[in-house]
Amino acid sequence: MQISRFAKQVSTTALVTAAALAVSSSAQANKELEQLAKQNTNWVMQTKDYGSTHFSEMIDINANNVKNLKVAWSFSTGVLNGHEGGPLVVDGIMYVHTPYPNNVFAISLDEPDKILWQFKPKQNPAARAVACCDVVNRGLAYAPAGKDYPATIFLNQLDGHVVAINAKTGEVLWKMENSDIAMGSTLTVAPFVVKDKVIVGTSGAELGVRGYATAYNIKDGKQAWRVYATGPDEDIKLSKDFNSANPHYGQFGLGLKTWEGDAWKIGGGTNWGWYAYDSDLEMLYYGSGNPAPWNETMRPGDNKWTMTIWGRDVNTGEAKFGYQKTPHDEWDYAGVNYMGLSEQMVDGKMTKLLTHPDRNGLVYTLNRENGSLVNAFKIDDTVNWVKKVDLKTGLPIRDPEYSTHMDHQATGICPSAMGYHNQGIESYDPNKKLFFMGTNHICMDWEPFMLPYRAGQFFVGATLNMYPGPKGTLGQVKAMNAVTGKMEWEVQEKFAVWGGTTATAGDLVFYGTLDGYIKARHSKTGEELWKFKLPSGVIGHPITYKHNNKQYVAIYYGVGGWPGVGLVFDLADPTAGLGAVGAFKELAHYTQMGGGVMVFAWERGNEST
Amino acid sequence: MKTSTRIVAALALGFGFSTVQAEQPVLKVCTAENEMPYSNKNGEGFENKLAQYVAEQLGRKLETVSWTDPRYFIRDYLDKGLCDVVMGVDAGDPRLLTTAPYYRSGYVFISREKDGLDLQNWDSPALKQAQRIAFAPGSPAETMLRAIGRYNDMFNYQQELAGFKSKRNQYVKYDNDKLVNEVASGKAEIAILWGPAAARYVKTSATPLTMTVIPDNAKRADGEKVGLHYSTSIGVRKNDSALLGQLNKIIKDGQDNIEALLEAEGIPLLDQPETAVSMN
Repeated sequence: MQISRFAKQVSTTALVTAAALAVSSSAQANKELEQLAKQNTNWVMQTKDYGSTHFSEMIDINANNVKNLKVAWSFSTGVLNGHEGGPLVVDGIMYVHTPYPNNVFAISLDEPDKILWQFKPKQNPAARAVACCDVVNRGLAYAPAGKDYPATIFLNQLDGHVVAINAKTGEVLWKMENSDIAMGSTLTVAPFVVKDKVIVGTSGAELGVRGYATAYNIKDGKQAWRVYATGPDEDIKLSKDFNSANPHYGQFGLGLKTWEGDAWKIGGGTNWGWYAYDSDLEMLYYGSGNPAPWNETMRPGDNKWTMTIWGRDVNTGEAKFGYQKTPHDEWDYAGVNYMGLSEQMVDGKMTKLLTHPDRNGLVYTLNRENGSLVNAFKIDDTVNWVKKVDLKTGLPIRDPEYSTHMDHQATGICPSAMGYHNQGIESYDPNKKLFFMGTNHICMDWEPFMLPYRAGQFFVGATLNMYPGPKGTLGQVKAMNAVTGKMEWEVQEKFAVWGGTTATAGDLVFYGTLDGYIKARHSKTGEELWKFKLPSGVIGHPITYKHNNKQYVAIYYGVGGWPGVGLVFDLADPTAGLGAVGAFKELAHYTQMGGGVMVFAWERGNEST
Repeated sequence: MKTSTRIVAALALGFGFSTVQAEQPVLKVCTAENEMPYSNKNGEGFENKLAQYVAEQLGRKLETVSWTDPRYFIRDYLDKGLCDVVMGVDAGDPRLLTTAPYYRSGYVFISREKDGLDLQNWDSPALKQAQRIAFAPGSPAETMLRAIGRYNDMFNYQQELAGFKSKRNQYVKYDNDKLVNEVASGKAEIAILWGPAAARYVKTSATPLTMTVIPDNAKRADGEKVGLHYSTSIGVRKNDSALLGQLNKIIKDGQDNIEALLEAEGIPLLDQPETAVSMN
């Protein structure tokens, strides 16, 4: 039903995803947020819109004039660690967040030289020690005023608390504990507002946290539902017809059966990446991450439902489908990242799709109504742990040479534990039917060790060395057709493109680089049209908005995160930072720490075209 | 002629020391920079004292060479000739030559005296009821906690004990005094540790603690034996049987002195099994 209704809309209009979906959204949906997302004056969620297109229809800044972009204003956050995510812009206010200590600043776009309000939470500093890879935060969420709550900004604190803040005044409305740092659980994920709920994930799979996603009521923070990645079906919340379209993905009882004993209790599968939502289907999409502990010999089995793409009913949390991409992960390919929604022709039928470039180096495209695999292909031909995905069974065909078993020393595994695609939010241009992806190009050696000590004790661990992939650089940017698997263009970047991309109808794709450039490329050809060197490297994403009829582009600078962990903690041992320090040892020669937001605009009359 | 004179002069200079040392040659012992209660760089560990005793018996001057990473000290220190002796290894450790065992001890249950826990073996109800059990990862204690179904309950606590450090790409240290102190301070009800690693801290704890040697009859779920009693030897490089012989003699002749030293430490000493003889 929904497909045919949708197809009709598309045939009569060439509107973008968000516009088309809004027409058919239910009366209950947080319509206002969806409306705000469509307005060029706003950037109301980290993903830009529910479909996570990160695409703006604005053309004021375009391929012809982007070279004239100049700095309009800037703002230092006063925090030096890695700045992931991006600012939000709503109703003429920019909301800026920082990594730990997770400060929030509201800045009026009319008067950007003044801070409207600021929120500096007091939180348990012990959280810093628990976070694995720098003390990042992936951003804020916004909920427009409802009948029983004011316009609200949501902040996830590293110490595991979710805070609701009055968007106009900066006052705390409520605060809930979502994760207990004493259990190794932190919060780095950006909250995601859907209907009357705010969705929050978890971090800390490395430390044996059993991952869950939770929906809280916007008005009072009361828990609406919580769903786990492992354990009994009722904890995972499987619907009665779970995976009925694809029973070969596995259906019931597997959250227990695919683990030895009760190892599912410490099984990981956290979600600290990005969400997407289809307001027509009322379904929420996200990925659960790696199983724990990292040492695969300690957890025989498929370890379901870690490494899974979920499609859940947002009202109840119930899963309609779950597709496990990497059964029994051996490489830390946490599959939490970007979920991009699009509507494209598949076998002659307009189909609702979900595209997910995974950390394991494969790009998966699913029918997002029932989870059926449409396509799964390598993000780069240098991916070698897997030969291909069998589309009939959904299983990856592995190459045992690149396994990390205890009795095997694997060298040249591609991708590295960092994945070919990590936490960046990518963009989708619905006119060109292209996804633009910033990627890593990093491989690794994985040397497991089990060394005797005394009195029967062993030291069990692994040493990872990471280094540039076969193409010689650490990053790539690619324009991809998700249905055909064809790369329209690809360019090399010296360092990983960690933060993701933003595309516009002005034939542009923007992104930041680890060494501190914001760049604009022609989205048809990949040609570099403009770049500007920022005060520090970038691990967040660009945004674009209109204010007083002028288009702006904004981006956080502030190197750090996993790739910049060596800079942040001043590490020299190449295997430190879970192996990241060696891979990015060059980075210190290009950029240093420093956090803030920089805003660019094109000055009219300044054009030379 | 000139050349040879110069050589002689060089020899006299260069070997001047070694002539002196020949009278009291050096015994190079590898010890940890900080792996208490075994050894530290201030010589406060019981293996530091043992090393001193052994050097004296050999009539040699003790020189300690300290390592920081217990994963690799045999490969990177002993095998490379940076030292000649390591004081405490399992009897029969295949990576080196080991002397006749100079003591045998066991894993122990540690609890607060006032709690009066009945901890005899792995089926003791106290092990099922404990909220927190402190232990070192990769040890037989871990194997047995898995076997009795308590490992997963303790996983987060175990991470916390090491400050949430990942065992990927680094050596993660669990301090024995900290593990004992978890029980003394009431954070954990029970600690399961190698007796010699815990003895000093149990003995000196302000809160009276009970230490019980665990019987050596444990089995994994698949029926395979999990060793809980171990014999400790001194180790030398594989080709150094001359030194091994000298050390074996000291262990035999000085058994009473060595035992006195270990007993002062509070280490529970067990009889060597009939079959336990030098593996070399």
